[in-house]
Amino acid sequence: MLTITNLQASVEGKEILKGINLTIGKGEIHAIMGPNGSGKSTLASVLAGREDYEITGGTVVFQGEDLLEMSPEARAREGVFLAFQYPVEIPGVSNTNFLKAAVNEVRKHRGLAPMEPKAFLNMMREKMALVEMDQAMVSRSVNEGFSGGEKKRNEIFQMAMLEPKLSILDETDSGLDIDALKIVANGVNKLRSKETSTIVITHYQRLLDYIVPDFVHVLYKGRIVKSGGKDLALELEAKGYDWIKELAQEEVTA
Amino acid sequence: MSEVLNLQEKLVKEFVRMEAMLNGQAQTPVHTIRKQAMVRFTELGFPTIRHEEWKYTNIMPVVKNDYAFNNHTTSSVTKSDIASFLLPDVEANVLVFVNGSFAADLSTIISQKGVEVMPLAEAFKKKTTVVEKHFAKYALWQNDAMLALNTAFALNGAYIEIASGAVIEEPFHLLFVNDSRSQSTFAPARNLVVVGTNAEVTIVESNHTLVSGENYGFTNVVSEVVLADNARLHHYKVQQDVEQSYFVGALHAEQEATSVLNTVVITLSGGIVRNNLSAVLAGKGADTHFYGLYLVNGKTLVDNHTLADHAVAHCTSNELYKGIMDDRSTGVFNGKIMVRPDAQKTLAYQSNRNILMSPNATVNTKPQLEIFADDVKCSHGCTSGQLDDESVFYLRARGLDKEQARALLLYAFAGEITEKIQLGTLRERLESIIAERLHQELVS
Ligand SMILES: Nc1ncnc2c1ncn2[C@@H]1O[C@H](COP(=O)(O)OP(=O)(O)OP(=O)(O)O)[C@@H](O)[C@H]1O
Ligand SMILES: [Mg+2]
Repeated sequence: MLTITNLQASVEGKEILKGINLTIGKGEIHAIMGPNGSGKSTLASVLAGREDYEITGGTVVFQGEDLLEMSPEARAREGVFLAFQYPVEIPGVSNTNFLKAAVNEVRKHRGLAPMEPKAFLNMMREKMALVEMDQAMVSRSVNEGFSGGEKKRNEIFQMAMLEPKLSILDETDSGLDIDALKIVANGVNKLRSKETSTIVITHYQRLLDYIVPDFVHVLYKGRIVKSGGKDLALELEAKGYDWIKELAQEEVTA
Repeated sequence: MSEVLNLQEKLVKEFVRMEAMLNGQAQTPVHTIRKQAMVRFTELGFPTIRHEEWKYTNIMPVVKNDYAFNNHTTSSVTKSDIASFLLPDVEANVLVFVNGSFAADLSTIISQKGVEVMPLAEAFKKKTTVVEKHFAKYALWQNDAMLALNTAFALNGAYIEIASGAVIEEPFHLLFVNDSRSQSTFAPARNLVVVGTNAEVTIVESNHTLVSGENYGFTNVVSEVVLADNARLHHYKVQQDVEQSYFVGALHAEQEATSVLNTVVITLSGGIVRNNLSAVLAGKGADTHFYGLYLVNGKTLVDNHTLADHAVAHCTSNELYKGIMDDRSTGVFNGKIMVRPDAQKTLAYQSNRNILMSPNATVNTKPQLEIFADDVKCSHGCTSGQLDDESVFYLRARGLDKEQARALLLYAFAGEITEKIQLGTLRERLESIIAERLHQELVS
């Protein structure tokens, strides 16, 4: 699905990603953890096509194509979805109209006709139920005045509507209460298939109790310094990051 | 400079000519005011950019033209000329003025209970008591050359009087056509609107210029409106005029207790457009709303000067003007809030927000707060910049292309103003015009 090779990126001359290597197969869930400021959101943004970052080296191949060559919208239409760590508020743009436009763009790209209004409404209703969003929220402007948790839930609702192939969830769990966390995780699990892959960026093991990863990676100072199975997350929860930092230190000095 | 004097001299001559045609009307109190205003206009002269109120709006190109004056007799504006200016699918009172004169054959007046509507020229004869009570009492011309000019030539326009308690569903559409096809024309007009206690009415004002060749139309429409206790007036001004048009206009309102004034000014095109707007909150609990949107390109200059004058306690004013400016267009916003010593418990809010679509577009914005009472809540703010990159990226990350994302954001930005228009047909029409415009702008 996705192959990242020696990816390097910087912003305003500051190097943030220093050679990321990561391969994600179809149907897999990968968790990315790591201390604050290590570059997790940067990696997610670079994959989604944010233009503030300069790619200084490396390649990203998504379904056999050069992802880095594509515009953000082309990536979205090809099936890359980023659930933002900090979703923006867009006053005056209704969730419904925006999603209709987005869904139809994705369909157009796949050679499908725009959805009939009725079919679209039915789809909305079905996906709303999946993440237990109410109509009032969907009718409002995109994220405007939403609480932190509501914004996160809205991201997953959008993901459900767009049916992506690769979903990148950037700290979707932060800001969610315990019940909401279960609902959102449950939604993500239901949307999974053998054909879709997921990258879960998180600081906490708790989310991974619900969305069980196949692989866990630790990102530190712009590099993946350790990878393992789901037990690695438990180990991090128990021991913190100090041993990882030491490990990274040894690697650099060695 | 000599050309400017020429126009001024020409206007003096026109005034004399007009007086000669007044017959019995030359001895009225109204005409006494006209004469004083004419004297004042000649003293003040046309404003230049040295005048603080006209700092960013140079009307010298406007006044250097040689204008015909009140040449309605030679005008031949037809129903089809104005068809596209009318509100679609609404039953409305439509008053059409061509070069300042009332065009009865183009107008539709629905006779209604509680409504007295007629050309102002007629009201000068038939409604002397009301006219003399209000005329030139709110549009204070003594220190405003353009108002003095309009007052001197206040011969025609709309007179609308709504009786106490009358709630009028059908809107009034005041349509000012400047026919400059055969010659550049100066077309002044003057309106007087009196809304009675507990009455409610909606007025749409639009101005349109017909030109050919190198001609320019110069239109000058001033309205005075009075809202009695608890009256409600919705006033929508729509400006979508040709490049070869100049508009200088004003609305001056006087509001009694708990009255509500809701104004929306939408400017979509034109040459030079200057709108003055003022409301004196003269009765306790009066409430005023000033909303404006200028969505312009090319070399259009739009200048909005507003004044919310809080004269007594417990009044509210709410103001939001927004601009989307492309190409070499210029925006000017000057919003003044005056809180007089007696106006305790005033709530006054003002905001001006601009999106500049081109590096050559400019906006000059100036809030002016003059507060002489201590127990008040006032706020003001202005911003100008580009569209928010974060928002554009968010929409693109969901599959919308750059142009779609920008159009959607701009449409939403404009929508905050258009949604204030309570007249559904007008709002929808403007929204579709704006959507179309944004689409064109972004693909070009
Ligand atoms: N636009 C930017 N300008 C300057 N520095 C930036 C920019 N974007 C990111 N950085 C820096 O890059 C580093 C990595 O940031 P990033 O947001 O990717 O971290 P993160 O791993 O997601 O952290 P967190 O766990 O706190 O979300 C940080 O030091 C951050 O300050
Ligand atoms: Mg982050």
